[in-house]
Amino acid sequence: MTPPVGPPPKGRLLVHGEVPPPLGRELAVIGRSLDRRDALEKVTGAAIYSSDMTRPGMLHAKILRSPHPHARIRRMDTSRAAALPGVHAVLSCENTEGWHTYWYMIAQPGFPRDIAYSGQEVAVVAAETIDIATQALGLIEVEYDVLPAALTPREAMKPDAPRVPVLDVERPREGNVQQPVYVRQRGDVDRGLAEADLVSESHFSLPTQYHVDIQTRCCIAEWDGQRLTVHEASQGVWNVKRELAKSLGLQEDQVRVVVQSMGGGFGSKAGAQRVVHYAARLAMMRAGRPVRLELTRPEEFMSHPRRYAGEVTMRLGAKRDGTLTALDAEIVLDIGSGSLYAGRYTMTLHQISELYRCANVRVRIVAVYTNTGPTGPQRGVLDPIATFSTEAAIDDLAARLGMDPLALRLKNYAPDFQGLDDTTPPLPYTSKHLDVCLATVAEEIGWESRDRKRTASKGPVRRGVGMAAYCIERGGYAPFSAKADVVAQPDGTVEVQAGVVEIGAGQITVLPMIAAEELGLPAERINIRHGDTDGTHYAPSSHASRITSEVGPAVLQAAAQVRQRLCELVAERMEVSPHDLVAQGGRIHVRGAAERGMTFEAACALMPGPEIRATGSRAPNPDDVIFRLFGAHGVEVEVDTETGEVRVLRIVCSHDIGRPINPKLVESQQHGGAVMGLGYGLYEEAEMDRKSGVLLTPDVHQYRVPTSLETPLIEARNVEREDAFYPYSAKPVGEAPLVGVMPAVRNAIMHALGVGIDALPITPARILEALAAQRAAARTAVAKPGGARPAAEQ
Amino acid sequence: MTTAVSTRPVSLIVNGQPRRVEVAPRRTLAELLREDLGLTGTKIGCNRAECGSCTVVLDGRAVFACSVLAVETAGRVVETVEGLAGPEGLHPLQSAFIEHDAVQCGACIPGILMSLKALLDDRLGAGGDVGGDVDERDIREAVGGNLCRCGTYPNTVKATLAAARALRAGRGARP
Repeated sequence: MTPPVGPPPKGRLLVHGEVPPPLGRELAVIGRSLDRRDALEKVTGAAIYSSDMTRPGMLHAKILRSPHPHARIRRMDTSRAAALPGVHAVLSCENTEGWHTYWYMIAQPGFPRDIAYSGQEVAVVAAETIDIATQALGLIEVEYDVLPAALTPREAMKPDAPRVPVLDVERPREGNVQQPVYVRQRGDVDRGLAEADLVSESHFSLPTQYHVDIQTRCCIAEWDGQRLTVHEASQGVWNVKRELAKSLGLQEDQVRVVVQSMGGGFGSKAGAQRVVHYAARLAMMRAGRPVRLELTRPEEFMSHPRRYAGEVTMRLGAKRDGTLTALDAEIVLDIGSGSLYAGRYTMTLHQISELYRCANVRVRIVAVYTNTGPTGPQRGVLDPIATFSTEAAIDDLAARLGMDPLALRLKNYAPDFQGLDDTTPPLPYTSKHLDVCLATVAEEIGWESRDRKRTASKGPVRRGVGMAAYCIERGGYAPFSAKADVVAQPDGTVEVQAGVVEIGAGQITVLPMIAAEELGLPAERINIRHGDTDGTHYAPSSHASRITSEVGPAVLQAAAQVRQRLCELVAERMEVSPHDLVAQGGRIHVRGAAERGMTFEAACALMPGPEIRATGSRAPNPDDVIFRLFGAHGVEVEVDTETGEVRVLRIVCSHDIGRPINPKLVESQQHGGAVMGLGYGLYEEAEMDRKSGVLLTPDVHQYRVPTSLETPLIEARNVEREDAFYPYSAKPVGEAPLVGVMPAVRNAIMHALGVGIDALPITPARILEALAAQRAAARTAVAKPGGARPAAEQ
Repeated sequence: MTTAVSTRPVSLIVNGQPRRVEVAPRRTLAELLREDLGLTGTKIGCNRAECGSCTVVLDGRAVFACSVLAVETAGRVVETVEGLAGPEGLHPLQSAFIEHDAVQCGACIPGILMSLKALLDDRLGAGGDVGGDVDERDIREAVGGNLCRCGTYPNTVKATLAAARALRAGRGARP
């Protein structure tokens, strides 16, 4: 067993330099469900998205794509297209030799001659109109040597498999397997399996998932001969700026990136996308002629990095009483024609090796290239694969042990970080209240009465209740260089300047709330400059649930410094000590004597210069404590055993949240995660032609994302506790609300039917197939705990 | 393929204003609104009647503007999200969407609002004067063709029920 670890070190705001003193009063803004700042412009149609903009003299670009999943371009001739009247610029492998685009700073060949997937870009044309650009694509001559394709990991791992040309060209590989194969071990798994009274093996198949942002990718790039300005639909203006500068050989200050409103990202717009590189390079060929490039819905499906798919084998060893003795996980990831994500695969470990106390753990991840579209981050990245596999395997083990799944979870509860492997020491978490989340979900979903509910359901419709826990690695990422400014002016105007993008999670509502709290002002008094690399410092993209926990401390520190400067000015005028002053209710006054002070505006009028500006700066996470998020989902379902149809009646989410800055916005994030998780669990299924490698479902008619009609009651019952490593104890939220949904749905269906469905999405066809197998097994009287399983896909 | 396409004039009423536009025969209502009239509140998410983000109200019915030809709208009445607020302020749906946080990234919201406007106009009347009502099922069905990837559906239901209450109470009533 792992040795006990001490309590976590004392929490502190993670900033460089001086940590601001405590406010010395109750919070007035933080914790209030204020309306989101951009709601008014969004409900009136006034919000401007990149696709809503036009620029004078704007050209329109269209992309030519490969129809083949694996080919080599033998000959390319764009001369007829270039000669078409109205065509201004053409890019292809003919004139971009050696050029790279960047995403997460991962170099990808701009227009490689070796085609890796059906739908890959082979040329792009900028023309006076979209019609001319489209016509020009038809004039481009491409001769391909068509090659055999490896469309699945199984095909790609065969010794004689075709070698997949990849986009992430700088990564080492052996055949089609990315190197090194990722293995982390703690203890001795083989011994743990030998010590077990029961070994429970499960196989899971998790498909890819598409982001389906409602706004398709769209940008307008403009080059004035000196400077590139890009209006983008991106989650991070600074990432795009840096990646474009690197790609195009520009100085960073030659690139300005602006995002006003952004129509959904979920990871798909985390950095500089291919389209923005193309538009920018075309624009630089025609100074003064802005280039607009917008993808259609089918292009989004075909070409944009989507979620990793995984085939998972889990082996859990346990004693009769449920004590885990071994956990062995083997994951084969389909990374398509490139894994376009900086974090790689370590994230899966945090769920698999940490969620339960277990001395013997082995996690092996094999990432395989295939001749399909590239992969990358999507809400939760690899957490869904890890969470689903762990939590479905736990319910399988519980069924085989004849144990209550919740009791099994609590039996193996891991209060502390056990070390990822033998080389990393056990450490405390900043905070962990997963046990309270589990108890909360159990109470809300009616865990005690779940078997009564099942047996009470009559006829072909069966009822079931399931749950799942999660542990994900969030709370800040290297390089921890987020900065933000707060600026006060003599007339009392205050502005937060942060290089962040509002992606719909409430970033531009929450950051001003932090400044308002520190300055004793109402939130609406604080302006925010955002979504623009001009006039802001670097901030990370709005991804990985990281803005509040990384930019939040910087805003807090900067606002506190502005407050301190104002307090000094007021103290000097009033001949009191600045330490006796408090900023509260729009005034700066002596603590406990509101009449002895002045309004915030009067205080600002004392400033000697044109502004008081302070810069806050996020410091790295300390290395003596572990940053993770925890929570649990509970789900109640009805399953029609005749049609295979699943109706989800309720989803209960309990997130170990610290303290919410804006509870209303937090709950909206939980709805969003639950709905996307529901889609992944039950509905979203892409179909690819096994011969041609062509995606057959590149639209939202066939690829079914959840609508209002499938979305059940979603209830958030969060656990609120202090965690001083986060600003006002606000732990991240964005992605976590998705990850437990799929396993909770699957476990609820298993509870209802007595059979586990191990491939997502759990469609009516899969349910009927599993029920038929269950009946067949019953007939042959082979009692296998956990029930029959559908054959593995492919 | 030729780029010189003949156009024809179309006269229609958009948000209460008579408009006359020269359009190509293949131009859609969504393009007419966004490109000819600059009403970019109406979004295009799929351009083939699958996502609902282009929903507008045409002669009182919610339609996908990407799949209505502009020439078909001659002499007809179109309402878009830009016309939802009146001189007396926001439509009760808009206020309720803000209060109940039924907005995240916002790209689907104009379409969702117009689907619901058609529902409430039909059941309650524009001023809440028809005397009908809506329930949760009606609301879910009315926006069943509007995809929201941020997952605002639960709050959409709450907000619309609140807007219907406000309309029935005569608040926010306007001609």
